[in-house]
This record gives sequence, C-alpha cells and structure tokens, in this order.
Amino acid sequence: MNDDVIRFALSRFGNGPLPDDFGTLSRKPLSAWIDEQLALPAGDDSAMQARLKACRLRIRYNANPDGKWPAMDEMRPLDTLNQPIEALWPLLDNNTKPRDGAERRRAMDEVVAASYLRAVYAKAQLREAMVQFWHDHFHVNANADERIMVALPAYDRDVIRANALGNFRAMTEAVASSTAMLYYLSNQSSRAGAANENYARELFELHTLGRDAYLNDRYDRWREVPGALAGTPEGYIDQDVYEAARAFTGWTVENGAGIDGQRKLPATGCFAYVESWHDGYQKRVLAQEFDPFAVPQHDGRRVLDLVAEHPATARHLAKKLCIRFVGPNPPDALVARAAEEWRRQAKAPDQIAKVVRLIALSPEFEASRGAKVKRPIALAAGFLRMTNADFTPTDGFHNAVAAAGQRLFGYPAPTGMPDDNDVLLGTSALRNRWNLLLGLAQNSWQTGTLDPSRAFGPTPDMQAGAYVERWLGIFGTAADPAATAAISGVIGLPPIVPVNGLDPRRLATLTAVAAMAPAYQSA
Amino acid sequence: MLSRRTLLQTAGAASLLPMAGLRDAVFAANPATNQPILIVLHLRGGCDGLNLVSPASDPNFIEARASDLRVAAEGANAGFQLANGPDAGIDFRLHPSAGGLNELYKGGHLAFIHAAGLTNQTRSHFVATDMIERGVASDADLARTTTGWITRALQGRGAANGAVPAVAASGTVGGDLEGASFAMAIPDLSSGLAPAGGAPVAAALWQLYGGAGAVAEAGRTAMQTMAGLDVRLPRDDQGRMKPYQPENGANYDPSADFARPLKTVAQLIKMEVGLSAVTLDYGAWDHHEYQAGRFKPQAERLSNGLAAFWNDLSAYHDRITLVTLTEFGRRLRSNRSGGTDHGRGSLMMVLGGKVSGGRFHGVWPGMKTEQLDEGVDLAVANDYRTVLSEILDRQHGIKGGAWFPGFKAPNMLGVLV
Repeated sequence: MNDDVIRFALSRFGNGPLPDDFGTLSRKPLSAWIDEQLALPAGDDSAMQARLKACRLRIRYNANPDGKWPAMDEMRPLDTLNQPIEALWPLLDNNTKPRDGAERRRAMDEVVAASYLRAVYAKAQLREAMVQFWHDHFHVNANADERIMVALPAYDRDVIRANALGNFRAMTEAVASSTAMLYYLSNQSSRAGAANENYARELFELHTLGRDAYLNDRYDRWREVPGALAGTPEGYIDQDVYEAARAFTGWTVENGAGIDGQRKLPATGCFAYVESWHDGYQKRVLAQEFDPFAVPQHDGRRVLDLVAEHPATARHLAKKLCIRFVGPNPPDALVARAAEEWRRQAKAPDQIAKVVRLIALSPEFEASRGAKVKRPIALAAGFLRMTNADFTPTDGFHNAVAAAGQRLFGYPAPTGMPDDNDVLLGTSALRNRWNLLLGLAQNSWQTGTLDPSRAFGPTPDMQAGAYVERWLGIFGTAADPAATAAISGVIGLPPIVPVNGLDPRRLATLTAVAAMAPAYQSA
Repeated sequence: MLSRRTLLQTAGAASLLPMAGLRDAVFAANPATNQPILIVLHLRGGCDGLNLVSPASDPNFIEARASDLRVAAEGANAGFQLANGPDAGIDFRLHPSAGGLNELYKGGHLAFIHAAGLTNQTRSHFVATDMIERGVASDADLARTTTGWITRALQGRGAANGAVPAVAASGTVGGDLEGASFAMAIPDLSSGLAPAGGAPVAAALWQLYGGAGAVAEAGRTAMQTMAGLDVRLPRDDQGRMKPYQPENGANYDPSADFARPLKTVAQLIKMEVGLSAVTLDYGAWDHHEYQAGRFKPQAERLSNGLAAFWNDLSAYHDRITLVTLTEFGRRLRSNRSGGTDHGRGSLMMVLGGKVSGGRFHGVWPGMKTEQLDEGVDLAVANDYRTVLSEILDRQHGIKGGAWFPGFKAPNMLGVLV
C-alpha cells in the first residue's frame, strides 16, 4: 500500500494510521492488513489492557443535604468495565444504599471513556470500527435511562464486542435478551394480553429486514404478501409485528418485580423468562405457523431464526455495511455480492468477518476514496493516532465530541446516529469539528499535552512553512504557499522563521490547523 | 435518495443557479424585517394527541382508555374545558398540566386540529417521519420526492435568497429542509458562532477551503454563515457573549430541555437575519410503557415553553405561525406495560397572531369502533397538508398544493383569519 492507500483504508476500517504504519505497511497489500486484523483475538491486547488499567476518570458530586451520602471528588479507575451486571445492578437500589445519580451514570461514563481509549490505542482497529457499527445498528440510548447506564458495561462487552465479527443470528439473540435492549425498547414490561410492540417493530424495521421490506401500505393481510402462501413472504406487515410482539412476551429482566401475589423476581439485572407473562397460544409470523404452548423462549427464538435468515435481512445488513465502509450510494453489484456472502455464511461463526472482508477487498471499495466524511470520534482518534498522543479521556472531551455530532450511547432515536455525510457538514457541526482538533492540540479539556514531535518533529533549522507543509502532507493535503503562510500566521510566525525549540503547544496548534483541511475531514 | 451534498456533487453548477443560496449570498446590512416566519415544531416519537386533548365525555373513549391516560372531565384532576370543540356533544378537555396552552387557547392565539396526520397505513416512526417531512403520503411519492416540503415552498416564493432563510434549531437539518442549500443547523447560540481560534484560524480556513468538493463547499458556507450571524450577537466590552435576555419577563426555565431550542429560535427571529422558516424538535413522545408518569411532565414543559416563547416574542406575533407535527398518534387502548403503541390520528396545534384561535378546526371522526381506523385507532380525518397548505397560502402567499406531491388541498379549514 502506498501512503494514500494506507491513510484511506486504515481510516475506513479503523481510526486512521499510526506514524509507523506508513513504513511497516508500505510493502504489504491491503488484504494482508485486513487478514491480520481479522485474526486478532477478541478482547483487549496487552498494551490496551494496561492503558485501561491506568486510566483514571474523575467522579464528583455534592453531599446529600439530608446526610444520606457524603460529597465525592476523586480520580477513580474504570472499575465497572469488567463487572457482571449483577454486581452493578444494586447501584439502582436506593433503599439499601442511597447514592447520588452520578454513581449510576458512572457505569456509562466508563464505557464511554474506554471506547475513546480503544478508538485511539486498540491494535484491533477493524474490530473497533465494527463495534462502532453494531452500537449504531443495535443502538440503545443509555443517556435517557439509569437502568441502561448500569447495563451498559455488560451490553458493550458481552453483546456487542463479543459478537462484532461473529454470527448475526447469535448476536441478535444476545441483543434480544440483553438488559440494555429489554429496557430501551421496553420489552421487559411486555405482557400477554396486550403485548408491547416496541421491540418487535424495531426488530423487523431496524435490526433485521429493514424498512424496504415493510409492506404495510400495500397489503392488509398476511396471505396477500407475495410469497406468503409458499411460506416465503417478501416482506412484513403490522400483523407480523403484532404476532412477534406476542412471541417475546415474558422475555424480561430480573428487576425485583412481583410475578403474582406470592412470588417476586430477584433483583440481579440478569435476563429472565417469566412463563406466566408469556402469551402461549398459537401465532403466525412471516407466514409460519407457531404451535401453541411451546417450550420456554421457543417462540421468540423462532422469530429470531425467521428474521435472521430472511433474504431482506441479508440485503439490509449488506447495504448498511457498504454504506458504512464504501460510501453513501454503494454500487448495487457490491451490495448483492455482500448479501450473497452473508447468506452463504449464515451458520458460520465468523459470518460477519467474512462479509467485511469481501467488502474491504472489493474494487468498489478501492474506488471509493474520499467518499466518507469522518465521524467526530474517528476525526479526533485519527488525529491523536497520527500525532502519537498520550491521551486521557475527560468529560470536556466527551462534550466536545458530542457537540460535533456524535454522542456515544446518547442518540435520541433507536435508529442510532445516521450514517450520512450531510449531518457532519452542517454549520454548527463543522465549527465543532475544527474546535475539536484545536482543543486537543491546546489541551483545552485536560486530555494531555499534545507534542507532535512524538510523531514527526521539526528537523534542525526547519522553518515554520516547511513544518506546516510536512503536516499538511501527512494529513493528505498538497502543499500551497498561501495556505502554509496562513497556517503559520495562526501562531503569529512568518513561514521562514525556524520552529526548533518552540513550545509544543504552539507546534501542536499548527498541526491541528493542518488537520482542519478538507483532505483530513474525509477518507 | 439524493441528499443535499450529493446533489451538489452531481448537478452541474448552472442548474443550481435558481436556488443559489447562502454560499453566494452577501449578508445585507438590513435584511427584510417584515417577512412572515414559519415555525415547525416536531413532537418526535408519536405524541398521544388523545392524552393531550381528550374527548373527555365520550363514553366510547372512557370505555377504551385507561383512566390515567386520558383527561378527566371532573374531579380533582379534571382538565381544562375547551370551548368551540369539533363536536358540540362532547366535552373536550386539555391536559391539566398544560395551563400555558389553555391561556393561549383562551386568548385566541392557539387553535387545535384533532384527528390530524398522515393518510398512510404506516406505523413506522421513520417512514411516517420521512413522508411528513417530504410532504407526501405514499411510498411511490416518497421514492420520487427528494426534497423537503419547506425547501420547495421557500424556493417557490423566492424566499431562498435571504441572508439566512431557513434554520433548523437542532443538531442537523431535518428532512423538511432536505435539498435546501440555504438551510443550516444552529442548535445553540449561547457560545456565539465565531470559529475557535478567532480571526487567524478563520484566515487559514479560508485558504484551506478554497477548492472544489462537498467538504470545501460546506466549509465556506459554514464560515460565511458564522461570520454573518456572529456579528449580530450581543457581546460585552471584552467581546464575551452576553446571555440571552428574554423580554416581558418570559421565563423559559420551567420548559427544561425544551428551553434551549426555543431560545435559539427566539433569538434568531429577533436578530432579523432574513429568516423565513425554522424547524425545531421536542421529543421523546414514544411512550410504549409507563406513559402516565412520563407524559405529564413532558406536556407541562411543552406548554410552559410555548407560553414563554409567545410572551417573549410579543413584538412579532403577526409575523409568526408555529405549527406542530408528529408522526402519528397512539393506540386508543393501552398495552399492559401501561403505555400505548403506534396509532394513527393525533393533534396538530397552530399558534400565531393570525390564527383563528380558541377553537378547533376540521372534522372529528368519532370514537365508535366502526369510526376508528382499523377498529383500533383514532382515524386521520384531517390531512396534515391541508393545514400546512393553508398556512403557506394565507400567510406566506404561496398558492396551491403543488408543494405536496399527490395532494390536492380541499377547502381551507379557516385556521388563519
């Protein structure tokens, strides 16, 4: 790969190259890098583990006025990340131990901080890109609900990360039975009699078949849907949603709720199936008959089988992956090949990895350079990687990323953040992207002093103009004397003044402004 | 589907001339200060119009609706009685936490259109939202309509050439301004709009963003907009932004998370930057569970916010019309989670100085089983586009329903005087 390809490919299937990558990858084809990435085991590499272990994130709140808890202000390790959900669920119980809400929010804050650190430092960059993809696809808005905050470490670790390059059917069941999703799409409160349709609807529309397969405007009855009488309906209608909602009644969370007069669920936060809340009678979903009174969870699992193997799901997911990795209007031929691979690998434990590989090594990918505007996390992480920064995530940084348009686990709709260049290029979004780069360079949010000479420092007697030109080149921009002079002017230097010995913050400012150029904004 | 940027990338420059927008516009020293301003408030998630304004005395409604998800006609929690309802035999009541809306209604500034919405069978949030924002009601029209209804209306009026013709007071420009090169997202004005790093960084950005391509174009638009708006923002001697001061004692604080977008809109209107349309969002109304506890505070914030907004903008009443839209109403019968699933007809509200307020407009379809949509939902008796057409026609002088593909506006409802 040449430098341009390295910049491009590693920014799509990761958060951009490290300075050393330009050397080590120069004699490797893209396929070698992709295969190395796919071969990395799940979980954090040892350097990443050390980073996470060393990370301290501030927690601060006032004392309770009634004396129920003391004031808190400490730099605390990311303790919740590896905890099982039953260890965190008691955070919600104010009867046994009253707590400030910040203690519950903490579980989410730690996942957010770890996500930023992994974006910058994880060796498995492709896995990180897929984790981001699946968090968008199976989105939960933790910001809106303390129970989802507390469930987030388990959701991120055991559901999304564990399956990010695995098998879609397995992942979908992990999502369906996760505490985070059971709360977010309210299936935990769904009961026989009048089932809650929220999860079932989004399972079809967002998670699997996709809205192109929602044929409710055209057909009123299941048997009218083309293919239904042969058992292979082309799409779904509201009747399928209603029936699927019945199938998932009883899938809930051990949250201490009463089951009947006598019995109560334990309060662990773990998945529970409550038979007496399940609607056991016969059902029909996607033209398939379900017998009454199946064994526990069978109805829901059968729905998951049906939606996971539906051809519309293969198309929907293939297209979404192509939009993420190739561009806003991916060629139909590529989507078709990816969908075909998706179905061929339906039972494979590495189904998703196989499809990603096909997309990465396609000529359509190669031809798509510049088609994707970087999302704010990738923008910031790529800048930190390229400068070999020693970065610490902070609240201030999190807010700056959110202002640029990406709030992890906080998008207000179950679609997740849209994968769309336009939303990243609005007036306010662009202003905040520029601000994000400058703020990192100037350590505005205590993320750490940024010293670009850890990556590429000025050579002896190097002038400001040449230094700027060098960084413009690293970020993929051709040199231009007018731009070089204007950037030097940001720190008040004419381009001919040598920059050796200059305060790193001023050098970092020049580097940040070079990264504001259009070339670095997209990949 | 073509988006704004892909349109810019694929269309020839010449074809874009008629809608040349902000990129080419110069900030006039004194933009027009008499144009009407359309304010579109999206109640995202599917607002339960029947919980906000209930046919409280209708026995069919009382029978079907859980008591904590409807407004009572009597007792300690009785809602505000609304005069001039759509069915003289029924006592229509406004949610008891919406005192601000009650005052606006009684004052003749606020009108209701109940059983309003999208005449399409979809119960998908995202399909319904896309259809409403593009001003269509069928899959076929959705597939061939690539621009938002506000985009087309403003272009039709020639309003697209003002300094800042259209703003989305949210993180992104929504679908109703799709394809509008002149629209921008400004979620917040509280920290000003100057680029970080000040004039030297701006000078460098102008150098870097001089070329072709979607990013460079967007960057130039952003810089020009920011510069034009920022100079109009009030600053103190040290150049620091002054916090926004609402007028007439208007207090946005009780509207909580609804306050920021409302204040942004109020401030933009007062800055007189040639604004013709603005969109903003207030959600989340998707109450699939525990609706009783969640609906009340949200209705209260909505009500308090609109009351403060009206009060703050008293000098602009004749120029503004605010209309609410939501993707659908909720199921008449609640589910066993204490919530409601996706339904059909909901409530539209129209607030403005030219509104024939203090009354309902349009048809009430009734709540008997045979009158319900598919036997389960309040029917859509009033197409949302009927109301929008009337606002465009009567206040903005944009005639006919051509902005709404496949829709022929029936007689006006008389929402505006």
